[in-house]
Amino acid sequence: MTKLIIELTINGKKKKVETTPSTRLLDLIRDDLHLTGTKEGCGKGECGACTVIMNGELVASCLVLAPQADGAVITTIEGVGDDKGLDPVQEAFIESGAIQCGFCTPGMILAAKKMLEENLHPTEEEIKRGISGNLCRCTGYQKIFDAIRLAADRLSSRDGGRGEEDA
Amino acid sequence: MEESFGDLKGCQKTYQKTALSQYFAPQKIEEALEILSKYGEEIKIIAGGTDLLVQYYDRLYEINNWLDLKNIIELKKIRISKNQMEIGATVTHSQLENSEDIKKYFPILSQAAADIGSPQIRNRGTVGGNIVNASPAGDLLPPLMAYDAQFKLLSVQKEELIPAEEFFVGPKQTIIKPDQLLTQVILPLPYEKTYDSWIKIGKRRALAIATITLALVVKMAEDNKTIKEARACLGSVAPTPIQIKEIRERMIGKNFNQLDFNQLGQMVEDKISPIDDIRGTREYRKDVAKEIMINALEEVYSSWWRSYK
Repeated sequence: MTKLIIELTINGKKKKVETTPSTRLLDLIRDDLHLTGTKEGCGKGECGACTVIMNGELVASCLVLAPQADGAVITTIEGVGDDKGLDPVQEAFIESGAIQCGFCTPGMILAAKKMLEENLHPTEEEIKRGISGNLCRCTGYQKIFDAIRLAADRLSSRDGGRGEEDA
Repeated sequence: MEESFGDLKGCQKTYQKTALSQYFAPQKIEEALEILSKYGEEIKIIAGGTDLLVQYYDRLYEINNWLDLKNIIELKKIRISKNQMEIGATVTHSQLENSEDIKKYFPILSQAAADIGSPQIRNRGTVGGNIVNASPAGDLLPPLMAYDAQFKLLSVQKEELIPAEEFFVGPKQTIIKPDQLLTQVILPLPYEKTYDSWIKIGKRRALAIATITLALVVKMAEDNKTIKEARACLGSVAPTPIQIKEIRERMIGKNFNQLDFNQLGQMVEDKISPIDDIRGTREYRKDVAKEIMINALEEVYSSWWRSYK
């Protein structure tokens, strides 16, 4: 099998990884970089369990070939929050009880975080659309919506109410 | 990957099914065309991968060699040049959804892009991929056809411009040859008053492969009363996306108040040849085709009426 080396920045760290042309980014993240917060659900881009942020965009890592991520900047769930504490979105998920089995949670949190980066005052409809690529098989959607709403409220008040005018 | 590009010379001879696989990610279109001319059917072009990789994992086919278009910046641009819009082949659905120019000139192309998959899919999937994948259910295809799109196909030897209606020949089948690269989608900028409607019926709002889609584009003559051009294009109702030409013939030269919407809806129902599949039966699709055609006409009519008043 052909080997090739790719370089990527994952959760702020530069990494060089040996891989093959047909390896999925998902497998590279889990098996080579040992970041197992990223999950495999359907393997077809429909469930969102493998969601990561690549070059600032939400992507399904099961539908990205490792060499396609050469040079990319990637954030996985392990890169959310820091030594000082959890990200506000993570805190909101815990407080709202927006977790049952937890399998969809990494993808949900990344999708929610990405949506809130672009829109601090999402409507119910916008929240639904923002996480429309992420399935929760426990069907705990209401609590997930509540968590995102809570995170949005906190982030926007922390924002000094700057976004309030256009709400 | 840059390194493997250097290996290109002589690769063709040593290539076997079991041989080393190659991954090319050139920066220039010319380099991509060179690679295609050497490998032909033995290489697969990948852009977003949202269709291709699903099929690959299902082992519908083996892929040994990959030509990744991600480094070709030229293919990622949306621009207006003279009287036409040029959309690069690797422009993503998200870009189409959010582009101010697309929203302004080709609103239902933007709406159709917004209806595709999920954020994750729209961020990766590309217009060119949607076209060459040639699914009868490809969401962008009816709007592209309704806007009279042409596809620019390049090979080392020549450049071709193919109208959307001549490009698709069957489910997942097109006229593109193994040495050709789809580089651009070209849409004529509308200078007439244009009214359009996009309707997608699917099992759910996200990640639904269309059960049926309809793109209706109506252009008015200078008086803004007489219909100058009308194109009704549908997806998931035939082996390829199709235009119902009889609609065009019936509508051109007429005013809206001379049209019987019910009759036009019936015409669409009669002219399509859908199949039964997991997303809907033939009967269902025929019924719905008529109804969505009427809805689309009503939408177009009411936006015309608002602007006419």
